[in-house]
Amino acid sequence: MTLINIVEIVVSVLLIALAFLAINSKTLIKSVMFLSSLSMLAVIGFVIMRAPDVAVTEAVIGSGLVTSLFVFTLLAVRKAGKKI
Amino acid sequence: MIDILVFSLVGLGVLFAMIRLLIGPTPADRVVALDTFNIIVIGVIALLAYQFKNSLYLDIAIVYAILAFIETIVFARYLEGNHGDC
Repeated sequence: MTLINIVEIVVSVLLIALAFLAINSKTLIKSVMFLSSLSMLAVIGFVIMRAPDVAVTEAVIGSGLVTSLFVFTLLAVRKAGKKI
Repeated sequence: MIDILVFSLVGLGVLFAMIRLLIGPTPADRVVALDTFNIIVIGVIALLAYQFKNSLYLDIAIVYAILAFIETIVFARYLEGNHGDC
């Protein structure tokens, strides 16, 4: 078992734990934070699997686009709830 | 030998950042822990580029560094209002 295999196993276990936490969090902003951490560990997973183009795409979509979209949606929902 | 030591220390850093992300009492603690985790991930990608002896992986680290900054700014924009329940 080489060093990269051990890193791969650690990243996989952390991915499962973060997915569980992202589903079972109490508040929505906490879920978004755990989902962002999940996508950043998925980037490491794709780098270990030697797929750099998939890793770049996952970094742009998962960490930039989805997190910004969810946070701004939460802001808009909170504002609309306060107005009513 | 030195690689095992480096990756073990990075794993320890990931562990502590994740503990703070889990039990952070205030939302600001969680956002700072998430930013720390982002920086550690950028370092891990650079270390893997060294380990694989391939400079193609450094581009991922550059793109990820820009996006991690944007992500932290977006979370700070969420915390800017007085939303204190998290």
